[in-house]
Amino acid sequence: MKKLWKTLLVLGVAFSLVACSGNKTETSEKKETETETTEKTETPETPETPEAPDTNGTASSGDTIKIGALQDITGKTATLGKMIQAGAQYAIDEINAAGGVNGKKLELITRDTTGDVTEAINAFTLLATQDGVSAIIGPPVANIGLAIAPLSEQYNVPILGFAIDTAVLQNKDGVTYKNMFLFQPSDDQQGAIMAKYAINELNSKKIGAIYRSDNAYSLGLVDGFKSYLSESGSDAKIVQEVQFTATDTDFSTMLMKLMNAGADVIYAPNYTQELITIAQQARAVGYTGPIIMGLDAAPPFASLAGAASNNVIYINNITESEPKVAEIMEKYKAETGADATNKFFLGYDVVNILADTITEVGEDSVAIRDAVEKLTGYEGLTGIISINPENHQPQGLEMYIHEIKDGQSVMIKQYSAE
Amino acid sequence: MAIQLLLNGLAVGSVYALIATGFALIFSILKFSNFSHGALMTLSAFVGYFVSAGTGWSLIPVLIVSMLVGGLIGLFGEFVAFRRITKRNSATFYYFVSSITLGTFYESIVTIIVGAGYFVYPMFFSKPAIWIGNFVIQTSSVVMLGISAIVLIILVFVLQKTKMGRALRAVSYDRDTAYLMGIDVFKTISIAFFISGALGALAGVFLGIYNYTLTAQLGNLVVKGFIASVIGGLGSISGAVFGAVLLGLLETILIFFIGSGYAPVATFLIMILFLFIRPQGIAGKSVQEKA
Repeated sequence: MKKLWKTLLVLGVAFSLVACSGNKTETSEKKETETETTEKTETPETPETPEAPDTNGTASSGDTIKIGALQDITGKTATLGKMIQAGAQYAIDEINAAGGVNGKKLELITRDTTGDVTEAINAFTLLATQDGVSAIIGPPVANIGLAIAPLSEQYNVPILGFAIDTAVLQNKDGVTYKNMFLFQPSDDQQGAIMAKYAINELNSKKIGAIYRSDNAYSLGLVDGFKSYLSESGSDAKIVQEVQFTATDTDFSTMLMKLMNAGADVIYAPNYTQELITIAQQARAVGYTGPIIMGLDAAPPFASLAGAASNNVIYINNITESEPKVAEIMEKYKAETGADATNKFFLGYDVVNILADTITEVGEDSVAIRDAVEKLTGYEGLTGIISINPENHQPQGLEMYIHEIKDGQSVMIKQYSAE
Repeated sequence: MAIQLLLNGLAVGSVYALIATGFALIFSILKFSNFSHGALMTLSAFVGYFVSAGTGWSLIPVLIVSMLVGGLIGLFGEFVAFRRITKRNSATFYYFVSSITLGTFYESIVTIIVGAGYFVYPMFFSKPAIWIGNFVIQTSSVVMLGISAIVLIILVFVLQKTKMGRALRAVSYDRDTAYLMGIDVFKTISIAFFISGALGALAGVFLGIYNYTLTAQLGNLVVKGFIASVIGGLGSISGAVFGAVLLGLLETILIFFIGSGYAPVATFLIMILFLFIRPQGIAGKSVQEKA
């Protein structure tokens, strides 16, 4: 009997070891396949930080111009990071097929942040020091951006990012980081766009808000929404707000509270998974009115939430009614079988902006930075982009407001925050 | 609104009751808190998901298959993780360690198979809400409440009126004497684990349906079942049901009036209060454990 027990124990231990290692191999396999485009993803050792900051700027040498992508490829936010990377690569392939920039080919060097701050800092340092990139396509995630921002001051490589939290662009004293740029509307702007729509188009007077109180993304969008409401001078106001945290999964009681307060519009700036439950439970407790959501209700939200997604209004960087967007989506789908989301086009636009800039000023990273700061009126697929040199945010960048009707997204209007 | 709140609370409470009874059943027989129960719920909820997504079956067959699989997982767990400890009459501590290990094992399986993302649970009801005039109730609440009530009534009936139920109760009172009386103790323990697993599976699938999305973290809700059985009295089935319904109602009302941020604070305060003034719970009898 004792033997049997021991055998079982050994088997158990062996099995759990296999299970653990199995898990690991899977992730490392993923890493390899998904970053095939770059052989430099594997970080050999901790990068050495140069003692004296390089003040001459990084100029790529050789016959390619290198652009870095600092994205989460294998971590929790990998769906976002991989899409940006794919869009950037798509644009680079197009540009190279048309002969490249100034007679040189573009090359994308992706380094994986794994969604982890420490990994991201290592990856950024490698891009800025070893890889000799002319510019970096930054992450769409605020906590990574916040970690990189102070460090970016030491180098001379511009980071064209997408984290909508404006704290990524300015330090505590409100001084703009010289290398950090944002290439989609900030959370203040996005919140304002949604508030503007609620007032102007839905004629809402009583708004109910449901949002996650432990998530800076939700809070930022709520702040932007509220400040637009108060500055607009409209009589629309938030009559009731309910907050939830990461551990909450049942929203029906909270939604009932909003209904009880007589909300004619519900504002829900949250992540997609939460939005699915919120939409479903809102309909289940009998709320039939409009629900305003952020970028997270862009496709595939409607197909995931089913009938509950009707009368959901959301903002997006792109619209499929734009022929060029539709064309790329179709082509990308045919090539890879995957759907190109809005993040894909953010990456796409930024690479094209960089290509234009490099054509004009060359591949020196400082010259690129200076040119990006003065960017005006670039007509991209995500809107007409001008950078405000004061705060490095896009100025007057419009977003496309969509409504979901019978499971289909219909573009209604274009709005900017101003 | 008040009636809707009440119904919501009852529905949530009924799912907690399923968790808590599964928990209490094992506690009453082997005198330990089975911490692998949450992971078993997750595992079975995913079984329900894949069965439903793969076959397109309606709710009842999906529930039955999930419960059977949940029961089998329970049997497997008892055989692998607890049988030897019971046979050797080892200290309760080993059950505790073993159940945590088993839970981690189940969780790892789920994570390996499904990864860290979320799954959208299939929708079983054509209409999410039932309107009666101006009055609206959630279809899922009604269905959950109804099915849970039926299952719990059957459970109580089995425990009170059948030979198997008497055997279960006898083993829970005094395992050695029950054995001397000719009761097959291990068979009885296996049955308890099967029932506990089936109840856990039912709770898992319900939580998937009610929350519309499913992640590998679903099992964390086992804490609610644990709190409910503490309030009700560890090991007492009727106490667990009572504690769970109370907890469900309390949570719903607290979320409505003070918000979700403070609701857990209040819930835990109430649990601590119970541990202070009535550590044996509502239904528990203050009997000294025999040495």
